Amino acid sequence: MINKLLSKNNSVLWIIALASIIVPFFLPNRYFQDIAVMTFLWAGLACSWNLYSGYCNRLSIGHAAYLGIGAYSSTLLYVNFGISPWIGMIAGGAISAVAALIIGGTTLRLRGTFFVLSTIAFAEILKVMTITSKDITKGALGVFIPYEPGFSNMIWASKIPYAFLTWIYMIIVLLICVKMERSKLGYSLIAVGENQEAAENLGVNSSRTMLIAFVMSAVLTSFGGTIYAQYIMFIEPTSVMSLMNSINFILLAITGGMGTAFGPMVGSFILTPISNLLRGYLSSVSGLHTFVLGLILIAILLFRPDGILPQLKLFFNGLIKKSKATKGV
Amino acid sequence: MEQILQVFISGIFSGGVYALVSVGLALIFGIIGLVNFAHGEYLMLAMYFAYWMYNIIGLDPYQSLLINLAVMAIIGYLTYKIIMERVLEADHSIQIILTLALSMVLQNLALMLWKADYRNIRIDMTTDTTHIGFLTLSTPRVVAFVIAIGASVLLYMFLQKTYTGAAMRAVAQNGKAAQLMGINLKRTYGLAFTIGISLVGLAGLLLSPIYPAFPLVGSNFSTLAFIVVVIGGLTSIPGAIMGGLLIGVVESFAGYFAGPAYQQAAYFLLFILVLIFKPNGLFGRS
Repeated sequence: MINKLLSKNNSVLWIIALASIIVPFFLPNRYFQDIAVMTFLWAGLACSWNLYSGYCNRLSIGHAAYLGIGAYSSTLLYVNFGISPWIGMIAGGAISAVAALIIGGTTLRLRGTFFVLSTIAFAEILKVMTITSKDITKGALGVFIPYEPGFSNMIWASKIPYAFLTWIYMIIVLLICVKMERSKLGYSLIAVGENQEAAENLGVNSSRTMLIAFVMSAVLTSFGGTIYAQYIMFIEPTSVMSLMNSINFILLAITGGMGTAFGPMVGSFILTPISNLLRGYLSSVSGLHTFVLGLILIAILLFRPDGILPQLKLFFNGLIKKSKATKGV
Repeated sequence: MEQILQVFISGIFSGGVYALVSVGLALIFGIIGLVNFAHGEYLMLAMYFAYWMYNIIGLDPYQSLLINLAVMAIIGYLTYKIIMERVLEADHSIQIILTLALSMVLQNLALMLWKADYRNIRIDMTTDTTHIGFLTLSTPRVVAFVIAIGASVLLYMFLQKTYTGAAMRAVAQNGKAAQLMGINLKRTYGLAFTIGISLVGLAGLLLSPIYPAFPLVGSNFSTLAFIVVVIGGLTSIPGAIMGGLLIGVVESFAGYFAGPAYQQAAYFLLFILVLIFKPNGLFGRS
C-alpha cells in the first residue's frame, strides 16, 4: 500500500508534510521549537529555489538576494512607516519580481557556468548596495525590529504561531510546485532543463518559460525572507545575503533530490535539524558544524547524486517486497 | 595626472597576482572542463603554509617557495585523485556543488585548526618601497608581480612548446579524439589540476607578505578569479593574464574615485556588462 501511495501523487509525502505540524507541539522547549520553525522555513525556501533551479537544472547561487529583498522590504516599511509586514511581504514580492525580471532577462540566456556566475555576481552587487546605501538600510549595522507582539505585526511571544506560519508557507510552496509540475509550464520547464534545443524545436518558448519560473521562484523566496526577518527580528546584509545562505538552498535541495517537488522538503527535514543540533552541541569548536555539513554534502554528491528521496522510495519498495515474500511463505 | 598614473600602475601591479590565480583556474577549466569553486581555498592553504614556515622554521616566503610549490602540488594531485576524478563525467551542476562543498570543508577546517585570527608575516620587505621615476610602489608587490607574470608566461610557453603541453591543448579541444590519438586522458587531467593548484598556491605565497592569512581569505579571490576568467574568455591563458591586469586596474580606480567599499561592486558590474555585451569574453575568440 505504501508503494501505491508513493507512486500515486506522492501521498505519503503529502501526509508527512501535513502531519509535520504536530511536531512542534510535542517538543519540550523553545530551543527545539526554534529548530522546527527553521526546518519549515528552510523547507519552503529550498522548495522555492527548486521551482526554477531544480526543475530547469540551472543552478542559481544567488537566491540569498531575494531572501534579502523580502527581508529588507517588509522590515524597512514596518520600522519606518509602521506598515504591517503582511503588506510588506506583498511589497517585497513585487520588488523581487521586478528584480528577477531584470536579472532573469539579462542572464537566463547564458549557459552553464556563465549563468551560475552571473547569479553570484548579482547577489554580491545587491549585498554591496545594501551595505553602502546607509541612509536607507542602515548599512552593515543592520536593522532591529522592535518587539511588539500582535498578529498584524507578525510578531508573537510563543514559537508555536511561527511554526504555523512557516508550515503554511512550506505547504503553499509545495502546492504551487506540485500544481506546476503537472501544468504546461512545468512540462516545458523540465523539457528545457533536459535539452533546450530539443524543447525549442518542439515549440516550447524556452526564454518565456524560464523567465516565468525564475520570477515565481524569486517571489516565493522573498516571502520566506519576510518571515525570516519577522522571526529573527534583526537583519544585516552580510548574514541575510551571504553566499552561505545561497549555498544552503542548494544543499537542502540536493540532499533531498533536485527537481522533485518534495525533495527539498525531505532535505530540510533531515539536514536543518542536524545542522542546528550540531551547531548547538559542537559550538565549542567554531567551524565544526559547517565542516560536517560540507562532508555530508560531498558524500551525497559522490555516492548519491540524485539525493535521498529516490533512495527512500527504493527502501520502501524493498520493505514491501520483503513483507510480501514472507507472507507468501 | 601623476596621481592617475600612480593609481593605474598600482592597479597593474596588484593585477599580476590576480592573473596568476586566474591562470590556474583557466587551465583547470579549459582542460578538464571543471569549475573549481574551491580555487581560492588552495590560495588560503598556501598562505597558511607560508605563515607556518616563517613562524616555526624561520624561512621567509621567498625562501620557502619551492617547498610550498611541492606541497601544493601534492595537495592538488590528492584532491584530483580522491574527489575530482570521480565526477569527471558527472553533470555540470554536480561538479559545481561539489567544489562549493569542498570550499566549505576547507574553510571550516582552517577555522577549526587555526582560528579566525589574522596571521601576518612581517619581514623587512613588507614595508619596503621601490621608486620608479615619480612612482612609489611596495616592494613585495613588485616582486609578486614579476614572479606572477613570469610564471604565467612560463605556463603559456609550456603549453605551446612542449609535447606534454601540446597533449594538454589537444585534450582541451577534444578529449575523446585526443584519447584515440594515444593521450592518457586521466593523467593529463591530473597534471592540469596539479599545475592549476600549484599556481594558485604560488599566488598565495606571493601574497603572504602583503596580505594576512585567515580562513575566509580565499573566497574573495575565488569570485575574483571567476570574473577574470570569464572576462578573459574562460579557457584562454593570455586572456586570463589580461583579465587579471584589467580587474586590478578597475579595482584600483574604483577604490580611488568611489571608495574601497565599491571595489567589488565595480568589477562585478564590469563582469555583468561583459556577460551581456561580449559573452565570449573581451579577449576570447568568438
